[in-house]
Amino acid sequence: MKFKKPRSWTQWIRRLSQLIFFVLFLVLAWQLHFLEPGNNAEPYKIFFHLDPLIFLLTLLSTLSFITLSLLCLITVVVTLILGRVFCGWFCPFGAYHTFFSWLAQRGKKRKEYQSRTSAHRVKYFILFAMLGMSLFGGHWFGIFDPFSFFYRALSTGVFPAIHIGVEEASTAIYREDPKILGLRITKITEPIYQKLRTDIFRMTQKTFYTEGTIIFFTLILVTGLNFVRPRFWCRYICPLGSLLGIISQKPLLRLFNDENTCINCRQCSKACPAGAQPDQRGNWLPTECFVCWNCVASCKSDSISFQFQRLGKPKIKTGQLDYPRRTILTAMATGTVGMLGFRVVPQAKQGQPFPDMLIRPPGARMEREFLQRCIQCGACMRVCPTNAIQPTGIEAGWEALWTPKLVPKIGYCLYSCNMCGQVCPTQAIQPLTLAEKQKTKIGLATFDKGRCIPYSYGRECAVCEEHCPLSPKAIYLVEREVITRDGNVVKIKQPEVDPNLCIGCGICEWSCVFQDRAAIRVTCANESRNSKNQPILTFDTSYPSEVDSGSQNSPY
Amino acid sequence: MNKRTRRQFFIETGCFAGALALQPLMAKAQDTSAPLDMVVCKWKGEPIVEEPTREIAEKLTKKAIESLGGMGRFIKKGDVVWIKPNMAWDRTPEQAANTNPDLLRTVIELCFNAGAKTVKIGDNTVNDATKSYVTSGIANVAKETGAELIYIDRSRFKETDIGGERVKKIPLYPEIIESDIVIDIPVAKHHASTTVTLAMKNYMGVIENRRMFHQDLPTCIKDITAYMKPKISILDAIRVLTANGPTGGDLKDVKRLNIVAVSTDIVALDAFGSEILGYEPQKIGTVMKGFEAGLGQIDYKNKLKFQEIIV
Repeated sequence: MKFKKPRSWTQWIRRLSQLIFFVLFLVLAWQLHFLEPGNNAEPYKIFFHLDPLIFLLTLLSTLSFITLSLLCLITVVVTLILGRVFCGWFCPFGAYHTFFSWLAQRGKKRKEYQSRTSAHRVKYFILFAMLGMSLFGGHWFGIFDPFSFFYRALSTGVFPAIHIGVEEASTAIYREDPKILGLRITKITEPIYQKLRTDIFRMTQKTFYTEGTIIFFTLILVTGLNFVRPRFWCRYICPLGSLLGIISQKPLLRLFNDENTCINCRQCSKACPAGAQPDQRGNWLPTECFVCWNCVASCKSDSISFQFQRLGKPKIKTGQLDYPRRTILTAMATGTVGMLGFRVVPQAKQGQPFPDMLIRPPGARMEREFLQRCIQCGACMRVCPTNAIQPTGIEAGWEALWTPKLVPKIGYCLYSCNMCGQVCPTQAIQPLTLAEKQKTKIGLATFDKGRCIPYSYGRECAVCEEHCPLSPKAIYLVEREVITRDGNVVKIKQPEVDPNLCIGCGICEWSCVFQDRAAIRVTCANESRNSKNQPILTFDTSYPSEVDSGSQNSPY
Repeated sequence: MNKRTRRQFFIETGCFAGALALQPLMAKAQDTSAPLDMVVCKWKGEPIVEEPTREIAEKLTKKAIESLGGMGRFIKKGDVVWIKPNMAWDRTPEQAANTNPDLLRTVIELCFNAGAKTVKIGDNTVNDATKSYVTSGIANVAKETGAELIYIDRSRFKETDIGGERVKKIPLYPEIIESDIVIDIPVAKHHASTTVTLAMKNYMGVIENRRMFHQDLPTCIKDITAYMKPKISILDAIRVLTANGPTGGDLKDVKRLNIVAVSTDIVALDAFGSEILGYEPQKIGTVMKGFEAGLGQIDYKNKLKFQEIIV
C-alpha cells in the first residue's frame, strides 16, 4: 500500500486564520491606548462581544445584557454546526498557545497525549463553579475568561514591559554613548528610538501597574504549561472552551475515521493538540476537538476526514461529554460556597466605602453591581492616558481582584477624558458623556495640614491649586498670617478644598511636591456612585465669576 | 524717570512721527532707524470674539517681528530653533491656557524664511504631551509647517549647574540647551501664586523637578531665566486668561485682546503683560526679581526703544 505525504493546505488556512485573529487582537489592544474622546470605541470590544461566556455570566449575575453582546450568538451558532472551530481557528489566545505548543514540540518525538484524563474535567469544573457564583450575583470569570486573561496580561504586563525594555535600553546607550571603531552607537539607536517613541508607542511616559508583575507571570506560567502538555490552557483550564464544548456535543461537522483504510498507526492521535481521540473509531470527542485538521493532515492512509452529518445518512458516532450531572452540582455548590467565602470580608458589605483609597473610575456602578459586571479585562487600564487606572489587589476583597481603581499617586483622572467608560465591554464603567463625566465625583481631596508646606513650613507652594482643572477651582487660596521661627509675621497663601466642587480627579495628589506621601490626598469620600459615602451636606453656594482677577483694572 | 540720551530722543521722535504717518511710509522709516527693543501690535477696532484668530494672529505677529528687525536679526542660516510655547494643558485654543496655534504658525514660517534648518517645538507638559499637543492645536500646526514636534523624554534630562541664587543644580533638557536659539512664546494668563504667568514663568517648561520651586517662584524663575539668556520673547495676548489660571477652562474667564508683543527684553515684556492683565508690574514678584537681577527693564516705555503699532 502506498502512503501519501501528509497534506497540509487546510492546516495552513487554519494557521493563517489564527494569525489574522491573533494580530487583530493584538492591534486592537495596542491601538486602544490612542483612542481620543469622541472616537468610536465599539470596534475595539468586538472580541468581548463575541464571547458567549461573558454574555452568559453577565446575564446570570445582573439579569441584563448589552445589545451588542448578542453578537456572541454567532459564535454559538457556528459552534453548534462546526464544533469548537472557535478554539482552533479564531481564538487569539488559542493561536498564542498553538505557537508555543509548536515551539515546545519542535524537533521532539511526538508523544500521545490523546486519552481522556480526569484533568480534562478541570475546565468544566471551573465553568460550573463560576456559573454557581454568578447565580448568586457575583463572579470571578474575568480571571479565567481567555480574552480577559490575555487582554489584561497584554495591557498591564506585556505592552508596558516592551516599552520599559526599549526605553531603558536606549537610555542606557544614550547615557554611556559608546563608540565602536569611532562610530557612535547613538547615531543608529537614537533615530530608531525616537521613531518608536513618536510613532509606535506614542507615549511620553512608561506605564506601570501595581499588580502588573503577578498578571505578567500568570501569562508566563500559562505559556510555560504548553511545555507540559500541548495547549495546556485550552485543554484543562479555559472555561470558554468548556462552554463551547458543551454546546458542541452533537455538531454537524464530525470526524469520520474510515475503518476500511485505517492502518492504526496512531499518527492522528499524536498530532492532536486536544486529546480528542481521533484514532478511537466512534469515540472521537467533539467536546474536546478544536477542529484544527492536524489529524486529517497527519493521516498517512487518508482515512480521516471531517464530514457533515446529513439527514437520512448513517450516524457518525461520537464520544460523550464526560461530566456527570452530579459533578456539575458539586462544582456549582463549590462555586457558591466560594462566593460566600468572598463575601465574609467587610469590603463586601453593601455601601461600605472600604478601603478608603478604593477610587473607582468615573462612571463605575455601585460596588456590588460593578463587580458583577467587571471582567477584569484591563481595557480601561490600557486606554487611560495618565496611567491612573490600576488593577486592584486583594485590598478590596478577593472578589475584586484585578478590577480597576485609580491611584492618584501614579496618575490622575484627566479632566477632558472619559474613555474608560467608553471602552468597558460590559458597562461596569458606564459610558458617560464628557459633560457628565466632569460632574461625576469619584472622590474628595483632603489636606494633610501637618505636611502641607504653606501650613507647616510657612512657605508658599500651591502646586495643587495650579493643577486643579476645574473652573472655578476646587482648591482655593486663603492668605493667612504665619509666624516664622524668628518671630516674623508673614502672609502665606494657604490652600483649601471646596468639597462641593472637588470631583476627586486626583491631579492635586499627583502633583504634590511630596512624592512619598502627598500632603493632599484623595479618598473615595463623596463618590457619586455610593449614596452611603456622602459625608458632606450640600449647600447651595454661588461663586464669584471673577475670583481675584485684576482684569477690571486692565487698560486693555 | 531717567534722563534721555539725545539718540533716544531722536529715535522716539522718529517713531512717533512714523506712527502718525501712513503704513508704507512707516515701514520705510523703520528700515532706516536702529533696531527696536520692543514692539506691541494691536488690532484696530473692537475685537470680535467669535472671529477666528488666524488672520489677526498672522498680521499682528508678522508686523511685530518685522518692526523689531525681522527674524533675520536673531536667526542665522542653518540654525536650529527651539520654540517654547505654553502647551502644558489639555485645553483647546479658545480656553487660552495654551499659546495660540495661529501665532505659532506665523512664527515658525518666519523662522524658516529666515533660514532656520530645523524648528523644534516642545514643552515639558503637565497633562500628557500626547494629549495636550493635539488639543492645543499645536500638533496640527507643526504638521502643516514642517516643524518638529518634540515629546520631552523624562529620562533624558541632564543635571546641570546653573549657579542661581536659589537654583544651583537642575535637570535641564539637553536638546533645548543645545539649540541655537530658544524662542519663548507664552500666553498671558492669570496664576494664583505668581498673580500672572508670562514669558519668564514659561521657562518652567525646560526643566524637571520644578514643583518645589513654588516655595519661592519669583527667585527660581529669575534664576532659570538668567541661565537661559533669552534673545527674543513673544507674548501672545490674542486671547488672555483673566482668572482661574493657569489651567482655566471656563470661557467666561477668557478675554479677547488681539495683542501680540515682541521684545528682546523679557522683563519688559512681562511688565507689559502684567499691565494688560490689570496688574502693576511693580507688584509682580517675577518681574521685580528679574528687574533687580538686571535681566531687563520694567519701564519699557522710557528705557527701551519701544513702539506701539495699530495693525
